[in-house]
Amino acid sequence: MAENPYLPVEAKIEKIIDETSNIKTFVLKPSRKIKFETGQFVQLTIPGIGEAPFTPSSSPYQTEKIEITIMKVGLLTGKLHEMREGEIIGIRGSYGQGYPFDDFYNKEVLVLGGGVGMAPLRSLLLTLLKNVDKFRRIVLCYGAKTPEDIVYKDAFPEWKKKRKLEILRSVDKAAPGWEETEGLVTVLLDKVKMDLRNSVAVVCGPPIMMKFGTLKLLDLGYKPENIYLSMEKNMSCGLGKCGHCALGKYYVCKDGPVFKYDLIKDVPDIWL
Amino acid sequence: MKFYINRTDWGKFLGQISKTYRIYAPQEIANELAYQLLAPENVAQTIYGTYRAVQPFKTFFSLPQEKVTVVTSQPEKTIVLGVKNCDLKALQILDKIFLEGDFVDPFYRERRENTLIISSDCYQPKDTCFCTLLDNNPFPEKDFDLNVSPIDNGFLLEVGSPKGESFIASIREDLKEATSDLIEEKENKRKEAKKRVVEVNREFETKRPFSAIVKDEYASPVWEEVTKTCVECGACTNICPSCYCFLLVDTENGGKFPKVKFWDSCQHTGFARVAADVNPRAKLYERLRNRYLCKYEYRPENFGIVACTGCGRCVEACQGKIDKREVIKKLSEKEEK
Ligand SMILES: Cc1cc2nc3c(=O)[nH]c(=O)nc-3n(C[C@H](O)[C@H](O)[C@H](O)COP(=O)(O)OP(=O)(O)OC[C@H]3O[C@@H](n4cnc5c(N)ncnc54)[C@H](O)[C@@H]3O)c2cc1C
Ligand code: SF4
Ligand code: SF4
Ligand code: FES
Repeated sequence: MAENPYLPVEAKIEKIIDETSNIKTFVLKPSRKIKFETGQFVQLTIPGIGEAPFTPSSSPYQTEKIEITIMKVGLLTGKLHEMREGEIIGIRGSYGQGYPFDDFYNKEVLVLGGGVGMAPLRSLLLTLLKNVDKFRRIVLCYGAKTPEDIVYKDAFPEWKKKRKLEILRSVDKAAPGWEETEGLVTVLLDKVKMDLRNSVAVVCGPPIMMKFGTLKLLDLGYKPENIYLSMEKNMSCGLGKCGHCALGKYYVCKDGPVFKYDLIKDVPDIWL
Repeated sequence: MKFYINRTDWGKFLGQISKTYRIYAPQEIANELAYQLLAPENVAQTIYGTYRAVQPFKTFFSLPQEKVTVVTSQPEKTIVLGVKNCDLKALQILDKIFLEGDFVDPFYRERRENTLIISSDCYQPKDTCFCTLLDNNPFPEKDFDLNVSPIDNGFLLEVGSPKGESFIASIREDLKEATSDLIEEKENKRKEAKKRVVEVNREFETKRPFSAIVKDEYASPVWEEVTKTCVECGACTNICPSCYCFLLVDTENGGKFPKVKFWDSCQHTGFARVAADVNPRAKLYERLRNRYLCKYEYRPENFGIVACTGCGRCVEACQGKIDKREVIKKLSEKEEK
């Protein structure tokens, strides 16, 4: 029988980790191995409820299980947050274009993340760290609303010890005990000195942060072809057919979600 | 090679064939032509040389609503008769979307492979037809299995594919090669038809191609002006032979992950909305404009094919009386004045 690209396979929720009050990480064990490259996405399904795209936050080198970090924002994500360990959901994928690591070799990699946008960026960090000798330097600038809203709280102390990796964090609104930066994530960019001739920047976060983050990077002197964005659009099929994810002439599910900024900079109204 | 067959022999042949194929052909219903499933005794009443049917050709391949849980093979072979060039052109777009790329839609492919396309020339274009404005002709030149051009008391047959070749194999020996006189007569009829479409659309001609107009005039106030009468019904996209967008909906019954695929419309408010109520095309005119950009700029950039064939269906279907030709003309005038 012909392959049916619309049909998910079963995935068991092995573990649920609370990250913040509205973000959880789901450890999934699909009934069939789902391979992915960092930055690609999968579609998760709950029968009778719906389906939505998510980018795995785990390392692509870990193939038995996939971790997905999900913020509760609506119908499907709300239902997912109500689910328990041991329950079954649907998964299909992976889809789209991930990060082109070859382009990053021997360069300084600046990673700019906001909120749950840290999900694909954790996968990115894990891939970068695994091949750390191929990159000159890795700098992560991460912003969240408050210290409580920071995801992967346990991972940061580990990461801080890593060779070649520098981490700067900010929160919009500090709380007692917060000793790092207070302010929008873009202020962190003023604190890092990157070798602009030899650096790429990767941005992932809410639309508003993507916009101001990118504009700031351009201000600092980054060329559009050295900025990589993860675009979020409405998706239905994930296969480049249903038209929902259109971004100008591109379909984000097929041509993205990771885009070089120079490819899409002339598409009108991309930040909406 | 072109053949001549008289009306009676052709009718007989179709009668034979209709035992193994389901045959759909344009029939007159309420002053419109609509594709209907033909009973063997009715095949002779097919209407060929007029304009396109009211249903878009896509309905044979991408169903308005379809369960996509299990791929089942198409039980019967189908023939669609009297398909016009505007619909053949539109099918090119659907083929690109559903059959190419990393993923193939098996449901579409199944129907596509089991359908034989018998197109025909269009000698009586409607006032809403504007294929010539988009450099298309009211007669097929490729992308058919067989084309019939009504002539004298019969038809000129043109074979367009191996599928068409084997389809007529059983009568091939009895077919007469078309004389040069008949071929010339057909060419004249085609020229006449084309002239008529050009005439009808004289007032809508623009200096720049549609693609340049929609791109250059992105910020024009005309978009908002023309959208005033749009009621967001989605008729324009549903009836369009080259609109392919759909929505997958997860239902509860039937299989582990039952999914139904519905035609969707980019004109609807929520089409592009993402979480937290962020909507890249929140305003109706932005959605209307996007449809024009999709047809005249984006798909041509992707595939080298203009995704509006000028069939005029959306012009007739629109509750708000929005005529694409008028919109483009208005957009072009702001600049060209
Ligand atoms: C490539 C990509 C990767 C992503 N990765 C992540 C990630 O790693 N983590 C994360 O938290 N988020 C991620 N997102 C965002 C995530 O997909 C959305 O938050 C999710 O779709 C919200 O779904 P919801 O049903 O909870 O929200 P809702 O606001 O309820 O719905 C979201 C969309 O679905 C539509 N919709 C809602 N209900 C229906 C219905 N009944 N029928 C039809 N349509 C309906 C809405 O119109 C809206 O467009 C990603 C998005 C993309 C595009
Ligand atoms: S946009 Fe209108 S005229 Fe063009 S192909 Fe679609 S229905 Fe026909
Ligand atoms: S058919 Fe007319 S009224 Fe209906 S959505 Fe299309 S443009 Fe608007
Ligand atoms: S999600 Fe269907 S085309 Fe991209």
